[in-house]
Amino acid sequence: MTVAASSPQPEAPRRRAQWRYWLGQYAGLLANLTPPLLYLLAFFYAPMSILLVMSFWKSGYMTLRPGFTLENYITFFTTPVYLKALSNTFFIATGTMLALIVVAYPIAFYLARMRPRYERLILYLLIIPVEINFLIRIFAWKIALGRSGIINSALMAAGLIREPLGFLLYSKFAVGLVLMHEWLPYVVIPVYLALKGIPPEIIAAARSLGASRWDVFWHIVLPLSVPGLFASFVLVYIPMLGEFAVPALVGGPSGYMLGNVIENQFLSAGNWGLGSAIGFILLTVTLALVALVVKVAGVEKLL
Amino acid sequence: MSVAGLQVTHLSKRFGKKVAVQDVSFSVQPNEFFCLLGPSGCGKTTILRMIGGLLMPDTGRVALNGRDITFDPPEKRDINIVFQNYALFPHMTVYDNIAFGPRRQGWPEDRIRREVGRLLDIAHLAGYERKYPRQLSGGEQQRVALLRALITRPQVLLLDEPLGALDLKIRQQLQLELINIQDAFHITFIYVTHDQSEALAMGDRIAVMNQGRILQIGDPRTIYEAPVNRFVAYFIGNTNLFEGTVQEVVGAQARVAVPEVGDVWGVCPHGAQALRPGLAVTLSIRPEKIHISRHEPRQEGWNRVAGVVQDIIYLGVSTEYIVRLGQGPTVRVFTQNLRPNGDHAEAITWDDPVWVAWRPAHALILPD
Repeated sequence: MTVAASSPQPEAPRRRAQWRYWLGQYAGLLANLTPPLLYLLAFFYAPMSILLVMSFWKSGYMTLRPGFTLENYITFFTTPVYLKALSNTFFIATGTMLALIVVAYPIAFYLARMRPRYERLILYLLIIPVEINFLIRIFAWKIALGRSGIINSALMAAGLIREPLGFLLYSKFAVGLVLMHEWLPYVVIPVYLALKGIPPEIIAAARSLGASRWDVFWHIVLPLSVPGLFASFVLVYIPMLGEFAVPALVGGPSGYMLGNVIENQFLSAGNWGLGSAIGFILLTVTLALVALVVKVAGVEKLL
Repeated sequence: MSVAGLQVTHLSKRFGKKVAVQDVSFSVQPNEFFCLLGPSGCGKTTILRMIGGLLMPDTGRVALNGRDITFDPPEKRDINIVFQNYALFPHMTVYDNIAFGPRRQGWPEDRIRREVGRLLDIAHLAGYERKYPRQLSGGEQQRVALLRALITRPQVLLLDEPLGALDLKIRQQLQLELINIQDAFHITFIYVTHDQSEALAMGDRIAVMNQGRILQIGDPRTIYEAPVNRFVAYFIGNTNLFEGTVQEVVGAQARVAVPEVGDVWGVCPHGAQALRPGLAVTLSIRPEKIHISRHEPRQEGWNRVAGVVQDIIYLGVSTEYIVRLGQGPTVRVFTQNLRPNGDHAEAITWDDPVWVAWRPAHALILPD
């Protein structure tokens, strides 16, 4: 005769105890997650769903007829100017991203090795420009880059050029330059944190095993900073793909991006269906790209 | 004129105002297991880093087989390092970690594959090639780190508290494995530790350090039985220290007056020449060398003092008695538990009046 068999537990108190246990485990989580979930549902997922549905509606100037048609998607892929905007978008965002990495990596690299006092100073210097109003920064760039701007005047005064350089403003170059200025700290800081997290013993071990400084960088430091590069990619590349203010202000006719097309469909052309369709095309391409980068860089191994 | 082994001569290093290493010299024979032992912050790791080329000394030289390598970069030295935190490359598999050194030396890949497989077998890690460091236990990670440092057969392996982060059982097991590996590979080991029992168990010779200086270099038995000063006696193992004044010197022995205890006959392990009446000295008496008894001991020439048992600590292999000598200091006594019930033959218990006794040869007179 075992103890358990001789005294079966009463059912009701056991179930109450279980319920209390469950509540204790998950009530806090539930209470914390519900408000943001409701908020996202009401103001993000619901509108997104509406736009997705709308992208399949028949749509024209200020008209929207419910139904199902691929017309908006077909329009996008058969209109050269839209495809040009798509290629512009990826060209500018990719080029800027690469330039950002080239500029930001050395900054992060030396920052991670600096004495704490200077380290903090440089971090402040990096972050302060971000606090300046975005429009003021863009207009400052317009003053610097314009035909009679500081750069052109200086170069002409020095006799290095005869004509003002035209590509400085209202061009892809201008968009890339201003975007770089805007996003630099968001590339430097994640990479800096990743580099700072590499234990010095790992470097020392590699050196003692016969690795030169270059070997150490190529085989140890660079691979271990991939999570930082990935973080900055997500933080910077994706928002850049949706950029519309910077190209609108300094892009001119050659520097316009998909964001400008979408904005135009909603605010001027009044074609919400087409605007939604382009938005979802951009979203799909972006997500595919992130998936590809995750796969290639093997980020999940490191996270 | 090549001299085999590793020579360190007059090495010094300061960080800002703090002197980390001060005029340290020693030489290590080929295939020797050499321990640098000292409390944390004594400079032993700094010495290791200077030998490994991770740090440049302010003055002094490091030479390997007669060749000056003081300012060679780490990758140009035939010396590898194993760290306490393993320092495995987290983004590489076990195989790639171990293959890192051979690849830098340009081994063909099939030779690397053979050698890695062979080493993993030896270390009981067969089949671990494709695992990542974070999937391994601490002991397994340290074995991989060891293999990674050994595979290229460096002349010298520097080990910086390699077992410090491991549990006692695994530590003891790896101590044995390390000794066996050192034997099998014929590599000079320089082993830094703050654990005196580890140094005694593993080292062919031990250098005891404190505050940036080497105090004594010797084999474990000499370090333990004939320490050169109070610090070495205190740092290695357990001991009873008494302060006293030399009264008379007779041959190799001397009579030392210890307040509250009385006169104690002792010897100076490094010769009695320096002793003269009136000199203030420290006496060191190891707890296991003291006999405890309820009856006055009869051995001729032994030191004997009466006391009262203040505490008894049962330690399994031995029992520790803490005995207060008169109104004065306490003395620790270890007795082995030879009987099944662990009791001392005479069943000494708390508050018993007892006699403690020891040979003059076991009362070491040390300068302060």
